[in-house]
Order: sequence, then C-alpha cells, then structure tokens
Amino acid sequence: MTEQEKIALIEETLDLDEGTLTADTVLDDVDEYDSMAKLSLIVMMDDEFGVKLTGDVIKGFKTVGDILAVMN
Amino acid sequence: MYSNIDNVKVIGIAAAVSEKWDSVMEVTNESQEVLKRFVKKTGVEGRYSASLKQTTSDFCCAAAERLLTEKNINREDIGVLVFVTQMPDYRIPATACVLQMRLGLSNNCIAFDVNLGCSGFVYGLNILSSLMSTSSARYGLLLAGDTSAREFSNKQKEKIGHTSELLFGDSGTATLLERSEGDSLSFMSNTKGSGFRAIIAPYGWYRNPESPDGRIHYSVMDDIEVFNFATNEAPEQISSYMDKKGTTSADYDCLVLHQANLMIMKRIAKKTGFSEDKMLVSMNKFANTSSSSIPLTLVYTYGDSEENKSINALCCGFGVGLSWATVGLSVNKKDILPLVHTSEYFKDGYNLDDLEENNND
Repeated sequence: MTEQEKIALIEETLDLDEGTLTADTVLDDVDEYDSMAKLSLIVMMDDEFGVKLTGDVIKGFKTVGDILAVMN
Repeated sequence: MYSNIDNVKVIGIAAAVSEKWDSVMEVTNESQEVLKRFVKKTGVEGRYSASLKQTTSDFCCAAAERLLTEKNINREDIGVLVFVTQMPDYRIPATACVLQMRLGLSNNCIAFDVNLGCSGFVYGLNILSSLMSTSSARYGLLLAGDTSAREFSNKQKEKIGHTSELLFGDSGTATLLERSEGDSLSFMSNTKGSGFRAIIAPYGWYRNPESPDGRIHYSVMDDIEVFNFATNEAPEQISSYMDKKGTTSADYDCLVLHQANLMIMKRIAKKTGFSEDKMLVSMNKFANTSSSSIPLTLVYTYGDSEENKSINALCCGFGVGLSWATVGLSVNKKDILPLVHTSEYFKDGYNLDDLEENNND
C-alpha cells in the first residue's frame, strides 16, 4: 500500500473528503479528529493492519505522519 | 468465574422510560455534520430522559408494578429484591428498602442495592438466582437501571463533549425469577479493578468530597480504554461461555449485548461468530442505558409480541468496574411485556418543593 493509499484510508476512516490530509497535517487542526474518529481508527488499524492501538499510542499521534508510521 | 445455578428461571421482563423522547438533534448545539457522524458511529438517534424529579427507582417501580400485576404474582411470595444502580435515591439507606415498601412486598423479602453499571443486569441475575437457590424464596425480583443522561459530561476534555453527553439515556427495568425444577442459569463473570479509572464519578463522596472546579455530579470516561476493553474482553468471555456450555452462535436466537455503542457491538458480534441480524439493537431509540440495556432491548424487540414461544438469548454486559458478565437466557416472548411510560415520581416527604407545597396547603 502506497503512502497515498494509506492517507486515503485515514481520510475514509475519519469521514473526510479525499485530498484533505497530507503527512504533515496536524491532527489537532482537524475538527473531525474527535473521540469517535479515534475509535474508528482503532477498528481500521486492527482490521487492515492487525495493529492494536492503545490509548497511549493514540495520545502520541500529533500528525498524520505519526499514524502512517504504524500502518505496516 | 463460571457458575451454574439450578432450579431457577426468568419468567418475566418489563421496562419503563419517561414520556419525553428527544432526538440527538434537539439536545445539543453541535453542528449537523458532527451529529450525523455521531449517529452513524454510535447508532444513537435519540433517548428518553427522566424529568427533574424522577429517579431510577421510579422507572424500576413502574416496570415492577406492571410485571407483578400482569403475572398476577402474590407479593408475599417474593423473597429477594436486588436493585442494581449507580444512581440510588439516597446515600443512606439502600433504595431497595424503599422499593420493597413501595411495591408492597413482605418484610420476609430481603432487599439491598448493588452498585454496578453496564454489567449489572447479568451480575444482578447471578446474585439473585444464587440467593434463591439457597433459600425458600419462590420468586425473586431484579430491578436494574440508571439515569445516566444527566450524569455524563466530558466537557472538560477537548473535542469529545458531544460523545458522552449524547450517548446516555434513562430507564429502569424489572426481571422476575421463579424457582423452577429442571431449569438453570449459567454465568461467566469477570472484574478488572485495575481499570477502575476508565469510567468514574470521582467527586462528591468520601474519597474526594470536593472537586477542583466545584462540580461534583458528573462522570468521566476514557473512551479509548473502554473501547479496547469491551472489544477484547467481551468476545473472549462470550466465546469461553459458549465453549463451556458446548454451544455455538447457531444455538441462540439472538445476541443481546449491553448497548454501549454500535461500533463496539458490531465488533463483538463479528468476533464471536454472530451475524449482525442476530444482534439486537435498541440504542437507536434509547441510547446507552447502563444496567437496563439488556432487558430494555428484549422489551423493545419482543415486548409487543404475544407469541407463546421461548427464545434463547445470549446476553453480555460490560463496562464500569471494569466488569463484564455473560448469561444464556431462555425466555418466553409472551413474558416480555410492552414498554411502560411513566411520568410519576415518589414523593418521599423530603423534597423541598413538596415540603413547601404542603406548608402552603
């Protein structure tokens, strides 16, 4: 999966229009990145990448790039 | 812990809510966009909320009255009353004692409260059936509910206020058990006290009588910890339960999960081999109703059916504690009563408005 495809997946998970995010986007600046979005992110990461996100890991996400870094 | 209790059976379920239902659009100033996302993810379209003077016990009392009347139960024969709630009427005494009086039960009926939330219905059934199996009680009454709509507020946390404020509804339920030769109830229950901070009302009682901002009547929830707990522990317990009983999802007519949040429920169903059409949903109408949610979901689904047919329901509650518990219930649809609406509340003689009213008379 390319970085662009991963960003598109994050956009879909957060109910955002395509092209809204870049790797440098600061998550605190994204209105839609609320608690429900974080739960959706947990589901997506588990289903698509088998990655279990804990609260501490999610708290550490500052930019979209931080999320991309665990999408392996 | 697994336990099997012989010679008990659920013979009736009722639930009560207020007459006031609001859609999520009506109870918040959030934008339509945020609300649409909230409805899609949580499944909550609206909720019933208690009037200012109504408490959990008022809903449970109304549900129990309907149940005992419809089932034509001699109240002298009820030997145990367990009231499961996180929102009792008083700090002292146990609200179950007041309910014993309001329902006209005998002094031979023991009555006490249990402080549990989302797992409380199953825990309550476990406690009640255990007591019935070692006593002469013919019937036992489990009353479970909460008025969480006014309790939860995460406003102090950024960008999650809309979630908790809208997620909860108010209701009370009544479940009647009878001693019955040849029947049994099996339970699988767990508690994880190390997660006690995940859902907590930290202020206003003895540990922390005062809060930093002066507000005491609110609860806070760590959504992510609760989500991870629920979607990992509940499926594991349900699977262990079915292994222990030698059953699979095919042996149950429905999966009745605590109505926590649609995302959580779908994941639990998926992990335990239940199709989504077997997973009952009521939180669209009632939101998350804590210990009420399992019996309320049965009432919402089957309450208007008069069919004389038993259903096998696999029920799992999970939440505050952290605690979680699973039980398989066999209930006849005709014993699940239609939803009760009530605007009544108990005038105990201590309410300041009522005292003033009496003084003016």
